[in-house]
Amino acid sequence: MSMSYKEKSLIASLSATLLVFGWYFYQVFSNQMFNIGHEFTFNDIFRPIILIVVLEIIIQSFLAGKDKNKEDERDALIELTSYRNGYWVLSIGVWFLLIQLLYVGSGGWYDILENSSPAFIPHLLLLFFVLAEVTNFITQLYHYRKGI
Amino acid sequence: MSQQTLADKVGVTRQTIFAIEKDKYSPSLEVAFKISNVFKVPLEEVFIYD
Repeated sequence: MSMSYKEKSLIASLSATLLVFGWYFYQVFSNQMFNIGHEFTFNDIFRPIILIVVLEIIIQSFLAGKDKNKEDERDALIELTSYRNGYWVLSIGVWFLLIQLLYVGSGGWYDILENSSPAFIPHLLLLFFVLAEVTNFITQLYHYRKGI
Repeated sequence: MSQQTLADKVGVTRQTIFAIEKDKYSPSLEVAFKISNVFKVPLEEVFIYD
């Protein structure tokens, strides 16, 4: 079975997201943990976001020119199911962060925000947004291949 | 009739027709009725509930 426009678009978006944010979070969390090199600030968050938006525009314009951009009820159903899975990942991440904020300064092993820079919390939140998006892409690809 | 022709007549993608044939997707009643109308046969001759 040949791949539809949606599947090609999903694979391209998933690859771009994993590459851009994988590289970015590797830089952020290795610096956060080992305190080396560039000190990341809140404004650094916008760099990968702008990069991924530009990449998405290039990918979508390239694919749209090659294939028909047509969606039907199966695409809508797969998209809804996948967004629900992504929502669960995001919810778990936000609740985890909220609970962590309650324990800031307690000094226990569960206090991962202790001694972290102020930019660590927004980066952690961005990480959960990205994980939710990756879950959404992977779930969609799974349903396109295995059925729904 | 090719998958693409049927898809065009029903108003879905060719991949959806392929998924229905391979039992990987259960279409809505609207699409099921449209498919049976294309073949001019009753719904139960095209789809079997199991």
